[in-house]
Amino acid sequence: MLRFVVRRLLLLVPILLGLSILIFVWVRALPGTPADALLGERATPAAVAEFRARYGLDRPLYVQYWSYVKTTLSGELGTSVASHRPVTTEIRDRFPATVELAFAAMAFALFFGLPLGFFAAKRYRSPVDHGSLFLSLIGISIPVFFLAIMLKYLFGVRLGWLPTVGRQDVLIDAEHPTGFYVLDGIVTWNWAAAWDATQHLILPAIALGSIPLAIISRVTRASVLDVQNEDYVRTAHAKGVPPQQVDRRHVFRNALLPVTTIIGLTFGILLSGAVLTETVFAIPGMGSWLKEAIFNHDYPVLQSGIMFLALVFVIVNLIVDVTYGFIDPRVRLS
Amino acid sequence: MSVAQIQELALERQQPAGGLWSEAFRRFRRNPAGITGVAFVGAFILIAIFAPLLAPHSPTDQNLLLIADGCCPGPSREHLLGVDELGRDELSRVIYGARYSLVVGVMSVAVGLSIGLLLGSIAGYLGGWADSVVMRLMDILLAIPSLLLAIGIVAMLGPGFVPVMIAVGVATVPIFARLLRGTILGQREADYVLAARSIGVRKRVILTSHILPNSISPVIVAGTLAMATAIIDVAGLGFLGLGPQDPATPEWGTMLTTADRYISTAPFLAFFPGLAIVIIVLGFNLIGDAMREALDPKLRRYD
Repeated sequence: MLRFVVRRLLLLVPILLGLSILIFVWVRALPGTPADALLGERATPAAVAEFRARYGLDRPLYVQYWSYVKTTLSGELGTSVASHRPVTTEIRDRFPATVELAFAAMAFALFFGLPLGFFAAKRYRSPVDHGSLFLSLIGISIPVFFLAIMLKYLFGVRLGWLPTVGRQDVLIDAEHPTGFYVLDGIVTWNWAAAWDATQHLILPAIALGSIPLAIISRVTRASVLDVQNEDYVRTAHAKGVPPQQVDRRHVFRNALLPVTTIIGLTFGILLSGAVLTETVFAIPGMGSWLKEAIFNHDYPVLQSGIMFLALVFVIVNLIVDVTYGFIDPRVRLS
Repeated sequence: MSVAQIQELALERQQPAGGLWSEAFRRFRRNPAGITGVAFVGAFILIAIFAPLLAPHSPTDQNLLLIADGCCPGPSREHLLGVDELGRDELSRVIYGARYSLVVGVMSVAVGLSIGLLLGSIAGYLGGWADSVVMRLMDILLAIPSLLLAIGIVAMLGPGFVPVMIAVGVATVPIFARLLRGTILGQREADYVLAARSIGVRKRVILTSHILPNSISPVIVAGTLAMATAIIDVAGLGFLGLGPQDPATPEWGTMLTTADRYISTAPFLAFFPGLAIVIIVLGFNLIGDAMREALDPKLRRYD
């Protein structure tokens, strides 16, 4: 098991190295130079030269790259041009919002996707099955931001059941030791705050979770149908194990294996979708931050933000792979 | 089953088996989902082509009198889907929007497909270090969530028509490259390739006239499904304000951005462009799924 984990970790090194080179080159290909951005258009050539010397921009590219790697590894990510706050502080404030949203979306997708796929497979080719296939087809065909706007209109504007802006009502007095608002409410025994934060999460989580829900129900269905024909399932039935127990212990458990990998892959969809969902619901997370950064030409934010999210995505997939190896010995031994 | 039906079945069996493609086409035709998809997509292509004839108004004409009392008067006989915040006919804008979505969707998939095809076939056929380099590069691209990658490319090239096309296209490259490499690796060891090699056919000819045609069917399926994702991503970039910068160009995603602002008074402004996206994306997804079943009924027994 340890060797498997180490091998997977080593595979990460070239990817992260390549990623850092890619992002380094990308930032330098962005329109406008840092000197233009910070000194303004009317800066004298001497001032520009002095600026370039001070920030090391006149050095050869490989030297610049090396210093970029060194500072990044030491956790120094620069300062946002727009807010003048350190990028690390911004990430610390905003990342929990996105994680909370992604978790809620994934929980929604699993809670409804797994049973939907399972029952569709159990009632293969019945109306339930066709209904679930149709639903998942619609799920992958609706753009996240369109669903988000429609949910906002229906449940926020029309029915007035749920809040549609931000993470917490401004009138609520709450402390935020962790940055995860629901969790904050619970650990500080502030039930009103926890409930309010949960309400704020519901609509964004449904919007963001729609695509993972569709994918998970589809994969679960196919996987259950596959497992149902396995010899060990027939054996279990033959030796008189009660059908419900066969479903629970033999079919469902084994059918979950491929679903595990899908969770890792759909996490990328969640991070992409977070940009759009956070924009619609005005959630101050990583996604809406990066969106603003484009319009502000905030290159330090774009550079570190994209690198950071890519890193998170890669690590999540690593965790999923390792978990998969843990629950399915065939993977780690191959 | 009636006797007539059984006879029909028997007749069907007796028909000489056509080629792979005619066989697949027959299976596709019998799939109602696939036909529905073709109808949706076909309708949109026609709408896009004949937009100037179908649209009741010009997409840029403003009727300011209508919005004098605020945004926005809903559907009326003159404006079937109402008018937007600048007094422009919503129906005409949705109709013209089909042009942008289809063109950018098709072009971006073409960009992704051609680069992906090239890289995938190089990796799959040459193998060795070329394979390693290409595949590591794809791994790196895959490490960046696709919309973020597209956003990054648009940030580099500046917003607009062509950058969006390139951005969405490049984001699909790894999918095609990986897919093609996988199928080519499978084909490379096939007997007919060995035969061609043993009679001295050149490598390039083996790749272009033997391996590629035989690896193409999964690529066509993936290409159709990629159209669906591409249209969603193009609209997503438009929604974020990275689409065409000319406000006169009607684009569904961009229309949703302004609609979002007027959601409490004019929800219909968001509903119709969104519905248009859903229908066309659904169409491509239906076609893609039906083609997958038709081209390889064994591959996905349960989908």
